[in-house]
Amino acid sequence: MAPSTDLLQGTLDLLILQTLALEPMHGWGVAQRIQQVSKDVLQIGQGSLYPALHRLEYKGWIQSDWGNSENNRRAKFYSLTATGRKQLEAELESWERLSLAIGLVLGRIPEASA
Amino acid sequence: MMKELLTRMRFLLKRPKTAELDEELQFHLQQSIAANVAAGMTADEARRRALVEFGGVERTREQCHEQRPGWWLGTVAQDVRYALRGFRRNPVFTITVIATLALGIGSTTAVFSAVDRILFRSLPYAHDDRLVSVGLVQSLEKQEFTLGGFFFDWQDQQRPFEAVTFEHGTSECNLSEANPVHLQCAEVAQNFLPTLGITPILGRNFVPEEDLPNGPKVAMISDGLWLSRYDRNPGVLNKTIMIDDHAVRIVGVLPRDFEMPRLQEAEILRPARIDRSKQNTVNSGIGVPLWAFARLKPGVSVQEARAEMEPLFLHTQQWIPAQFRNEFKLQVRSIRDRQMQEAYTAAWILLGAVLAVLLIACANVASLFSARGAARERELAVRSALGAGRGRLIRQTLTEAFLMAISGAVAGCVLAEILLRVFMAIAPTGVPFLGNAQLDLRIIVFAVLVSLLCAAVFGILPALERPRATALVGRLTRSGSHARLRRVLVTAQIAICMVLLSGASLLVKSFWNLERQNLGMQTRDVVTVHVPLNWERYPSGQAYMNFYLRVEAALRRLPGVTAVGMTNSLPPDANSWHGGSRLADVFVGGKARFAPETGGSVVARTVTPDYFRVLQIPIVQGQGFTEEERSSSGDLMILSRLLAGRLFPQGDAIGQHIQFANYNPYFRLDGPVFTVVGVAADVKNAGLAGQDDPEYYELRSNHHSETWDQHHIFLLESTLPVSVVTPWIRSQIAQLDPTAPAEIGVLSQDVHKLADRPRFETSLLGFFALCGLAMAVIGLYGVISFVAVQRTQEIGVRMAMGATRLDILRLIAGEGIRLIVLGGVVGLCAALATAQILMSLLYNVGPRDPWIYAGVALVLAIVAIAATLIPARAAMKVEPVEALRYE
Repeated sequence: MAPSTDLLQGTLDLLILQTLALEPMHGWGVAQRIQQVSKDVLQIGQGSLYPALHRLEYKGWIQSDWGNSENNRRAKFYSLTATGRKQLEAELESWERLSLAIGLVLGRIPEASA
Repeated sequence: MMKELLTRMRFLLKRPKTAELDEELQFHLQQSIAANVAAGMTADEARRRALVEFGGVERTREQCHEQRPGWWLGTVAQDVRYALRGFRRNPVFTITVIATLALGIGSTTAVFSAVDRILFRSLPYAHDDRLVSVGLVQSLEKQEFTLGGFFFDWQDQQRPFEAVTFEHGTSECNLSEANPVHLQCAEVAQNFLPTLGITPILGRNFVPEEDLPNGPKVAMISDGLWLSRYDRNPGVLNKTIMIDDHAVRIVGVLPRDFEMPRLQEAEILRPARIDRSKQNTVNSGIGVPLWAFARLKPGVSVQEARAEMEPLFLHTQQWIPAQFRNEFKLQVRSIRDRQMQEAYTAAWILLGAVLAVLLIACANVASLFSARGAARERELAVRSALGAGRGRLIRQTLTEAFLMAISGAVAGCVLAEILLRVFMAIAPTGVPFLGNAQLDLRIIVFAVLVSLLCAAVFGILPALERPRATALVGRLTRSGSHARLRRVLVTAQIAICMVLLSGASLLVKSFWNLERQNLGMQTRDVVTVHVPLNWERYPSGQAYMNFYLRVEAALRRLPGVTAVGMTNSLPPDANSWHGGSRLADVFVGGKARFAPETGGSVVARTVTPDYFRVLQIPIVQGQGFTEEERSSSGDLMILSRLLAGRLFPQGDAIGQHIQFANYNPYFRLDGPVFTVVGVAADVKNAGLAGQDDPEYYELRSNHHSETWDQHHIFLLESTLPVSVVTPWIRSQIAQLDPTAPAEIGVLSQDVHKLADRPRFETSLLGFFALCGLAMAVIGLYGVISFVAVQRTQEIGVRMAMGATRLDILRLIAGEGIRLIVLGGVVGLCAALATAQILMSLLYNVGPRDPWIYAGVALVLAIVAIAATLIPARAAMKVEPVEALRYE
């Protein structure tokens, strides 16, 4: 197993929301998508994925429906709710602010371009 | 926000489907395998790798479950179920704890609710802490009073008070309209209500013109009268009513909680209309009696006010005749103190007793929980090893403590309600305000919190310690520090119990003495008949005399009645007599026997000859009165042995002439000259517990008709039962005057009533002492039996090594006895140190009566040793083989 980068608290929620923003997906799909997009840097185990999905569902940001997967198996598909979409926008905004700030502190972004 | 809340609510109601989660996880695993196969692995390898990567499922399941809002509520239910199961498994422990809590909470709440009304109730006056009662006291009148002769000087010249006011007492009055009622009318100063801070709920206070000698006749009525007579109709204002045949206009209605500062009943308030200019002439020049109340200036204490009043008092003292100048003292005290009198001591003692019981209860709960905690050390260790977090263990323990405390509190409240009713039923009428005591919510909450705290703290202690791994494997489970704690608790319980028991025993002994004492007279089956006549129908002493003599003759004719005596007051009640003198006023042969400053009062009674016969008071010297002497012209007197001894130490009392000094307003010796005809044995005459006063009896003679008044009591000696005679007496009196009320009683019952207050105090304290004893014994038994069980294995080893059963008994019982001795000694010291407080409640018992303390110590020792011997005997009978295999 490739060493996975530790995710910041709350970052996993953001990643899941962002992933689900494209289309409804089951848990496996979410994990795979994140792994692919991050070029295998972010590997999400079921131990953190499913609690996170349930947490988001209980918060009302995503909802779940049973459907059929691409290989015709019964699977639980998660999709973003309206509140979830709003939440995603808010979190993206704060993430950008945060990453910009961290970049500034680390000196990786010239101040002029900020 | 709202939507999120709704979602949460929905999930709260919907049960999570574990099956769904399992299916989801299964799907994930299958996909993982499929991905591995797609990557070119064999089916087996793909499955193995996927499973390895997948990791444990249980943790995920639990974490998913914990995401659910309010998931912990489920664990609470779980904890409750677990606790209830535990209670069922161990009913003795459960019942003991709940009973202890119920007793502790119940008795504390009941007594505090009762005592609170006595000690801490707020008086219905604004800023009642600044209201005081001011006046003079002397040996015959220990409740402060003032007189018109000096009151107004005090009022004008005083400095410590914002305002000084007075009331002129209450008197009977009649609302003499259609449907007449008998009422109590109080006469007060114009500034009476404003000074006390009372505002009428309707109408206005009196205006100064109405308080002038010939001012308009006005009155204020009580809320009770307003309701019962006028149905709370506001139109009652300015209505004219007839009081004792005088037209009086209603100007206001008093608040519902209005009460006179001296707590007399009063339905009607009238301006006193005192004529200040006449105060140096009326009532032999000393003025009318007034009861003064004052409001302290802010920041002035009662002591300071007293000191500031001292010069005025000294000035007034000059004006008191020199003979008894020194007997008068200035008294300034809070209205609350005046109202409560000696109820204070009893209330504080009860409060102390109840706190002691609560302490014992808490110690009991604490030691029970601590013992249980120690016994469950292994269980906790197992649960901890199985993955229960410390928080969960603590929560579990707290749940148990909580359940116990709640059940105990519920049972305690029921008990408190019952106890309070019992208190009210047995309380003497003399304990003020007990009648409307109610369970106090604050104290219930307090008692429940205290016991909850005890249970929680001592329940949690074992859970707080990380269960030691040794507890899992170790065969000896014993936690030393907790054992020490329990021993301290048991010792403390025994000590407190010792204090309670000795206090209660002192009171019981005192009460016993009180009830068993020789009153010096016969009270059984003596019927008393009091006929309080209306003075308007009987305007003169002659009228009274005629009526009472006819009643006497009628009663004498009743069958079974063998003697009828008459008196104006009855022993032993010190408050029943009217009049009396000071010892220094007694003149023998025209000369004073005692120096004018000599203190002490003499009880005076006016009686007929049969008084001595009915009460069986022996005449020890000379003769009693005879029937013939009643109509002869001489003034005769019988002295009590005590008075005769004081006046005539040589024993030559018979035939001496006695006169009483008169200070109206100057010293005179112009009263009748009494001839002493006999000396009677002493009778208890200053209350049941009081020191006997010297006493003399005047013959009620028919030629002094002016001295007859409504204070007349008939005493009947009858061969027939009281219940038979009573209706005959009523009909005889009704024949003579149908409007005359007759109060018929039995003397022994009246005397019995005098002991109501000590009976009340004694039974309450006795009850608490027994509660305390029961709980301390339960605690001791619990700890010793626990120790015995804990040491079962050790006992087995000892017996295997050759210890006899007696050695084992000694081992286990020795532990208990050490605690008993230690607790007993500490308690004895504490009891001896605090016994002084009881002093004022005791009669004929010293507060350090050695027999009492020896007896209490013995009883406590026997009961406590019995409580340790039972478990110790059980330990002694353990079979060594079984003990070795134990656990």
